Amino acid sequence: MALSTTVSQRKQIKRKAPRGFLKRVFKRQKPHLRLEKSGDLLVHLSCLLFVHRLAEESRTNACENKCRIINREHILAAAKVILKKSRG
Amino acid sequence: MADHNPDSDSTPRTLLRRVLDTADPRTPRRPRSARAGAQRRALLETASSRRLSSQTKMTTRRYSHGVRSISGSAYVQASGHLEEQTPRTLLKNILLTAPESSILMPKSVVKPVPAPQEVQPSRRESSVGSLELQLPELEPPTTLAPGLLAPGRRKQRLRLSMFQQGVDQGLPLSQEPQRNDDASSLTSSLNLTFATSLQPQSVQRPGLARRPPARRAVDVGAFLQDLRDTSLAPPNIVLEDTQPFSQPTVGCSRRVYRSLPCMPHTGAKDAELAAGCKTRSSGPGMQTNSPEKPAQFLAGEAEEVDAFALDFLSTSSGVSGEDGVEPLQDGVEEAEKRMEEEGVSVSEMEATGAQGPSRAEEPEGHTQVIEAEESQETAEAKGPGASSGDEDASDRAASPELVSSTPESLQARRHHQFLEPDPPPGAAVLSSEPAEPLLVRRPPKPGTTGPRPQQDPHKAGLSHYVKLFSFYAKMPMERKALEMVEKCLDKYFQHLCDDLEVFAAHAGRKTVNPEDVELLMRRQGLVTDQVSLHVLVERYLPLEYRQLLIPCASSGNSVFPAQ
Repeated sequence: MALSTTVSQRKQIKRKAPRGFLKRVFKRQKPHLRLEKSGDLLVHLSCLLFVHRLAEESRTNACENKCRIINREHILAAAKVILKKSRG
Repeated sequence: MADHNPDSDSTPRTLLRRVLDTADPRTPRRPRSARAGAQRRALLETASSRRLSSQTKMTTRRYSHGVRSISGSAYVQASGHLEEQTPRTLLKNILLTAPESSILMPKSVVKPVPAPQEVQPSRRESSVGSLELQLPELEPPTTLAPGLLAPGRRKQRLRLSMFQQGVDQGLPLSQEPQRNDDASSLTSSLNLTFATSLQPQSVQRPGLARRPPARRAVDVGAFLQDLRDTSLAPPNIVLEDTQPFSQPTVGCSRRVYRSLPCMPHTGAKDAELAAGCKTRSSGPGMQTNSPEKPAQFLAGEAEEVDAFALDFLSTSSGVSGEDGVEPLQDGVEEAEKRMEEEGVSVSEMEATGAQGPSRAEEPEGHTQVIEAEESQETAEAKGPGASSGDEDASDRAASPELVSSTPESLQARRHHQFLEPDPPPGAAVLSSEPAEPLLVRRPPKPGTTGPRPQQDPHKAGLSHYVKLFSFYAKMPMERKALEMVEKCLDKYFQHLCDDLEVFAAHAGRKTVNPEDVELLMRRQGLVTDQVSLHVLVERYLPLEYRQLLIPCASSGNSVFPAQ
């Protein structure tokens, strides 16, 4: 598995999906349901995309406020929008 | 190696041509492979020696190149006779093929030489040839280098004399292998070549020659020297002394005493935990800070610290590296605020728990520190010495490891974080801080260990996505912002599970299918008619997952994963 890839930033981003964590979260939420094998990978993909959109939105908010650092307010505002979009 | 030849042979080649022109033009110009003629070898050897001499005119570098080419060419002829092909001979063959002027020697020079060599069998010839090749090559560098400007003829004569000397030296050596059997001759040849292997390598192949390693030693030494010079404290025991329990040379009782409380604490931490880099870095941070404290503190406070440290030992087993890192980081940033508000810092220190005392010590210690590195190093140096006297063996074992590993890790990472923000805190702040945080910090300790196991896995999993968030954002973020992201992720997970349940129930199933998830993504607007799921999978997921998700046809008319 591709554990980590060195990116331009200092951090090493792990590309692995926390499958156990996802399964556990799903089980905790819906104990009566079962999750299929590749289902959690797609769930991971959707989480990635959600985080991606959230980051983009908060970055936009921060740039609009001409801040160099992303604040809570930026994230709050972004989360409102993105969560509404991701409601399905 | 072959690459060197074309570059370097430009001038040596011309020189060689000149030499050859002046010499007997009858010499064959093509490399003769696998000829048992000792004359050839002799020719080559003399030619090599001559080339050596001719080339010594030039710079030593060119000389070395020329020697390499000559020796290579000579070796080709010698190795041509060899039954066994060593990598070296093969490479030399390759070398030779590059320059066109490989071998060229006037036969006149060879005459005295061939006689002794023809007697030998082929193997021994090879060994002897290699010997002789090596010997003259060794000698000419040393003797020819000092300004041989004689014309070709004179060089030839000189070479001849040198060569004869070499031959004479080589002959007695070669006598021995001749007596032995072939097998033993092999070994003897190996032995013979072995002795000279080092020099010929450097002489014949400057490209492979190891450039003087002295530079590296000097660098390290200079580095240590700089450290010593800049450090006002005693020499850097940690870096120089590899002994785990080096006795501290400085007789600062306070410092030794100070280091004690932190040593057991950090030692216990490391002994219990997996001693990740985080813990190590957090440990040394505490270590270094505590020793710097003593200059200001009295013995009374030392007692408090001792008791506190013991408490740490007993209760801080649960203090994990993760917490250590983040609170440490928090402490670093908060140290700045600390200068302004004691109360804030105290509360923050409380929150951070185990890291509190170290943080309290940080600003104080750093005011003392003239140069951060040296002070840390000295503190660490004293640390092991202090702990060895009083602490348990486990702590001692842990602390030296800490100390040994910390200098680099600490200096590399925590230096800037700890030391730069800390330097200018007020003395008044420092003096009042230590008492309060010490007393306040104890109660939270037992409390923090409780909810941890519950939340940790969940937070650990979320932290993965939080890291991804900060990566996607490409901008610096506040810590509170990251907490917000965690909350958002939590909410998102809840929504996600609810939606999946609804979709599965709608399909009359109790198991959530990947189709359900795809439907969810379609409703989210991620998957559209233009952008299909497979595209997203290919874009965001690593290859291994892609194989699992996207059906791919393989041999035998089989599709994986099965549809």
